[in-house]
Amino acid sequence: MTAVVTNAPAPPVARRRTYLSYVGSKVLGAFGSLCFVLVLNFFLFRVLPGDPARTLGRGRFRTEAQLEAFRHTYGLDQSLPHQFVTYVGNTLTGHLGVSLRYRVPVSELISERLGTTLLLVGSSTILAMVIGVYIGMIGAWNRGGPFDRFSTGSTLTLYSMPEWWLGLILIAVFAVGIGPFPGLFPTGGLHSLDVDPNSLQGWIDTAWHLTLPVLTLTLAFLAEYSLVMRSSLLDELGEDYLTTARAKGLRDVDVRRRHAARNALLPTTTLSAISLGYVVSGAITIETVFSIPGLGLLAQEALSIPDYWVLQGTFLVAAAGVILANLIANLLYGVLDPRVRS
Amino acid sequence: MALGLIAGFFVLTPAPSATAADDDTFTVALTDEVDSLNPFLGVLANSYEMWAMTYNFMVGYSMKDMSPQPELATKWETSPDGKTWTFHIRDDVKWTDGQQLTAADIAYTYNRVLHGTVEANNWSSYLNNVTSVTAPDAGTVVLKLSRANAVLPLLPIPIVPEHIWKNVSEKAMKSFGNAPTPGHPIVGSGPYILEEGKTGGSTFKFVANKNYWDGAPHVEHVDFRVFKSTDPAVQALIKGEADFVDDITALQVRALKGKDGITAGNNISPLFEEIGFNTGAVDTKTNKPIGDANPAVLDPKFRHALGYAVDLDRIVKSAFQGAATPGSTVVPSPYTTWHWNPPDDEKFSFDLDKAGQLLDEAGYKKGSDGKRTLPNGKPIAPLRLFSRSDSEFSTNIMNFLKEWLADLGIDSKVTAMDSGKLGDVILSGEFDLFQWDWYVEPDPDGILADFTCDQRGGLSDSWYCDKDYDAMYKQQNGEMDKAKRIEIVKAMQQKLYEDSPYIVVAETTQGQAVRTDRFACFQPQPDPGGVWLIQYGGHNYNQFRPTSQAGDCDGVASALGASSSSSTKSSDDGGGSNAAAWIAGGVVVIALVGGGVLLLRRRSTAAERE
Amino acid sequence: MSTANPARTSAQLLRARRMAALKANWKLFRASRWGVIGLVVLVLFILVAVFAPLLADPEGLQVTKATGGILEPPSKEYWLGTDENGRSILTLLIWGSRISLFVGLCATVISMVIGTLVGLMSGFFEGWPAAILFRITEWFLVIPYLPLALILATVMGRSLFTISFVIGLTSWPATALLIRAQVLSIKERPYLERARVLGAGRWRQMSRHVLPNVTPMIFANTTLTVAGAILLETTLSFLGLGDPTRISWGSMLESAFAVGAMTTGAWWYIVPPGVCVVIVVLAFTLVGQALEEVFNPRLRGSR
Repeated sequence: MTAVVTNAPAPPVARRRTYLSYVGSKVLGAFGSLCFVLVLNFFLFRVLPGDPARTLGRGRFRTEAQLEAFRHTYGLDQSLPHQFVTYVGNTLTGHLGVSLRYRVPVSELISERLGTTLLLVGSSTILAMVIGVYIGMIGAWNRGGPFDRFSTGSTLTLYSMPEWWLGLILIAVFAVGIGPFPGLFPTGGLHSLDVDPNSLQGWIDTAWHLTLPVLTLTLAFLAEYSLVMRSSLLDELGEDYLTTARAKGLRDVDVRRRHAARNALLPTTTLSAISLGYVVSGAITIETVFSIPGLGLLAQEALSIPDYWVLQGTFLVAAAGVILANLIANLLYGVLDPRVRS
Repeated sequence: MALGLIAGFFVLTPAPSATAADDDTFTVALTDEVDSLNPFLGVLANSYEMWAMTYNFMVGYSMKDMSPQPELATKWETSPDGKTWTFHIRDDVKWTDGQQLTAADIAYTYNRVLHGTVEANNWSSYLNNVTSVTAPDAGTVVLKLSRANAVLPLLPIPIVPEHIWKNVSEKAMKSFGNAPTPGHPIVGSGPYILEEGKTGGSTFKFVANKNYWDGAPHVEHVDFRVFKSTDPAVQALIKGEADFVDDITALQVRALKGKDGITAGNNISPLFEEIGFNTGAVDTKTNKPIGDANPAVLDPKFRHALGYAVDLDRIVKSAFQGAATPGSTVVPSPYTTWHWNPPDDEKFSFDLDKAGQLLDEAGYKKGSDGKRTLPNGKPIAPLRLFSRSDSEFSTNIMNFLKEWLADLGIDSKVTAMDSGKLGDVILSGEFDLFQWDWYVEPDPDGILADFTCDQRGGLSDSWYCDKDYDAMYKQQNGEMDKAKRIEIVKAMQQKLYEDSPYIVVAETTQGQAVRTDRFACFQPQPDPGGVWLIQYGGHNYNQFRPTSQAGDCDGVASALGASSSSSTKSSDDGGGSNAAAWIAGGVVVIALVGGGVLLLRRRSTAAERE
Repeated sequence: MSTANPARTSAQLLRARRMAALKANWKLFRASRWGVIGLVVLVLFILVAVFAPLLADPEGLQVTKATGGILEPPSKEYWLGTDENGRSILTLLIWGSRISLFVGLCATVISMVIGTLVGLMSGFFEGWPAAILFRITEWFLVIPYLPLALILATVMGRSLFTISFVIGLTSWPATALLIRAQVLSIKERPYLERARVLGAGRWRQMSRHVLPNVTPMIFANTTLTVAGAILLETTLSFLGLGDPTRISWGSMLESAFAVGAMTTGAWWYIVPPGVCVVIVVLAFTLVGQALEEVFNPRLRGSR
């Protein structure tokens, strides 16, 4: 939801700059953001209530010595500044620490779940992008037509729906099965247990498992693209130069394709680049409803411990994804629309 | 609206395969995670299940009441002073890589716990007072103790193979996942071999250990799948994607009972829910009071009187939907050996008059405004009732209590918080009453220890501290005569019942369901009425079998699906299909919303059309 | 004359102008059929929320006073059936609208105040204060907002106000950026330069010239933010981070999912709250879009 406005162009700067210095400033800015995130993340999680040693040791750690041993093993007995220095040092050398809950390196946990999340959220985002842009484009070209009315009405409705509720209803209809609908799809999970996930059959099986969650997320994401595309295309269609182009005798189709659609894609491109950045944040609600072990759930489940290192790791990865995507979007913007550079 | 898109997806998808239909794979749907495959690290119940399938204990648990029974050790002796224990180990047990399991492996495992740091965390409390563990020969393990420990021979520590684990250093242990890699299954001695699965993962695949010393399992594969919520897990069971589902709600059990081929039940599990009091928080170093407990809850008489103001039956019926039994003491009733059953004249009954009378006697008299006052005449500040927002029962229980307190003339306020936060609050002593639960292990020592003075600031959440109680605790811990120990344990429960640091509200159950049309012969633990899987030990894993081969389950009449046993199949469902149609109705509503937008838009824009 | 009593005249003039503008805007708004329908729906829901005590007995919310059976399907007595505690779903739905709307509006106010302040300041100031504000805004945008909201809710506890605060705190950056962009463009306008030359201080410039100019934007944005806030409240409650002592549509859905409404077939527990959320959020979105069109002529006719 917030992504729509993140493509606000860079603050206008009076003097002209070359593209190179533009790139330089953007990269530097992104690096600055990353450092800021790194620092803030550490302190954000330390204010979480609960003591990991006590949460994990409830009923198990009978003596103060056991609690202390646990804290010592996982570095929780160090002073906060000390922990901070360790954390920054470790992060710079690529170590994200050991998860308190699972007792395996956080980087291992994240890399395992990254693939799942990319598959689920990534494919939904791309599908939503393609279908949404297409719907928005057709809608704008046939403004007021039946398709436009239908698509705007339904996308707005989808936009107003909690995506997990849509998921629940889809499960009820297409996985549990209702009346005329057989329960065709699995209710959750990523693949059947008796199929080797690395075979062709396994891929088909995974696709079959992901159909409902991807469908849910696609429907949820779709609205944004189609609405943005539609309105920016309508803006472009109203621009003066198009009237000029038409007056020059260009055919309508050419005007649309050559000029309007290309320019209108600009906001959509930035939106897409940024949305791709959010892919690594995962989709907690959909992962919950469909029992898909992704990065979003990893972060959510770490909260109750609280598993500091998992939280720090997942948030860092998520933020890095968005910052990188923002950077790419800005750079793209600079190429596509030279006005922002000046 | 979106239906066109959905229809498109149908064309693209392959036909579903009935995944668990074959009877050589038993699929369990778990609703909580497996936090580690390494028995020295994990803490969650489902992790214990993974270890129980892979490893063995030296001394196991009985199916009847979880009392100690031979497993790797066939028999054991104790010296008269209780300071030397000698265990005789089976000689027919092999690790799954073919090596012999000997007393040396057992001694190795226990020594890692005794002398390690990470290893000690999970298990050291079971080796209390143990000074050395040795294996004088391949068939004997000797434990030497500094002081008698009555909890022995209960030693729920999974025995790991020395020849594998000696390569895991103390330093590596803290992040050792013990996960299998392709072609390298986990070496254990249990009924099944872990072939696939990762810490925190969502699938765990086991293959039968054909050479299992206690008899080969009847089913080739057991798969576990972790679901993030219960409803999809139950749906997986109904659709046949899973054969067993654990930890489901009472309402789901009720809905499943009407389904053909499924047996569901609210099974006994040694877990209780309590309302706890702040009996006096102190700084454990200086012994000075901390926090701001209401003076009323510090008084055992006040607490005990409230025991008569809690309608346990009502709570069981409403908050737990009937899937629980009223609680009494901190040692749940399934532990028949240890449980103290309060006699009728001492037992709490829901009797507000009696509660009021007891409060009057203790000096908490009603003022002119109908509100009770402290014995010194000052008004009782509203009691703070803290519930856990992550429990579905907690807030409801406290809401009931609030109502009954109001009837007694005592004001109170319910606040819900995250359990992590509640833990912090309890440590700070800034509370009056809270609601939490305990899972009680087969030996009462653990739960009784939680009320000793030593545990204040540790596992004790009521801050209870009483010299007599502490003395009894110490006495039972060293009492080698079981009958005498039982007597002390019961006296301790009575003491807690009177001083009431806790009002034990309910003994809860574990909702479980099995596809009995496919698999049978699950013996409950405790027997009868207990859980079918996720038990103490992996006993059922080489007992259960396809229903077609069930017969009389080798004569275990209580086992689920044994030829004569029949579980109650109530017919209170019926709503399923018609309910489903209504969900379709919901979809239609949404479609209407979208369609309405469509229609109105048409009217509004008709004029603008080109 | 103008020198004799300038303040009064200009004040009157201003009021007259404002009234005229308001009338014109209302006319524009009325032209949007969608905005009007959204508004009517909203008014209906707000009436239900306000008059909840007349429509349903608040005793029906208390688990201890529940009279119905467990998860009973709709009947004459319980039009929308009962929940797992035997309470009437309709009663919960009516009272839930209060919490959902209250949290939505409350969160929006918080979000708007923070967003407007930060947006104004980061647009108006230059140098390092602006840079720091921008960094903070950016941090809130790059951090996945749902996990952030979960963390804040865990830290702050679960009263209605803290949940509103959490939602407000996670949803202001969009407003801030929007306002900031507006301020930056207004700043370049000639009349502000004139004001500067005439010696108007920063606060005066901001309060007299910039703020009135961005107010319509803020107003339109507010309605859209309410829609987002209600959705976020529903999601937070669904993930178990709402105030468990209060009933909202989100907490109803959470309980429905937790007790296994799909398996037990209790459609009446899971469909109505969801439909209410969709309708209210949609109504806010429609009104917000209509307002945007009114205040931003460039958008007019583009939807």
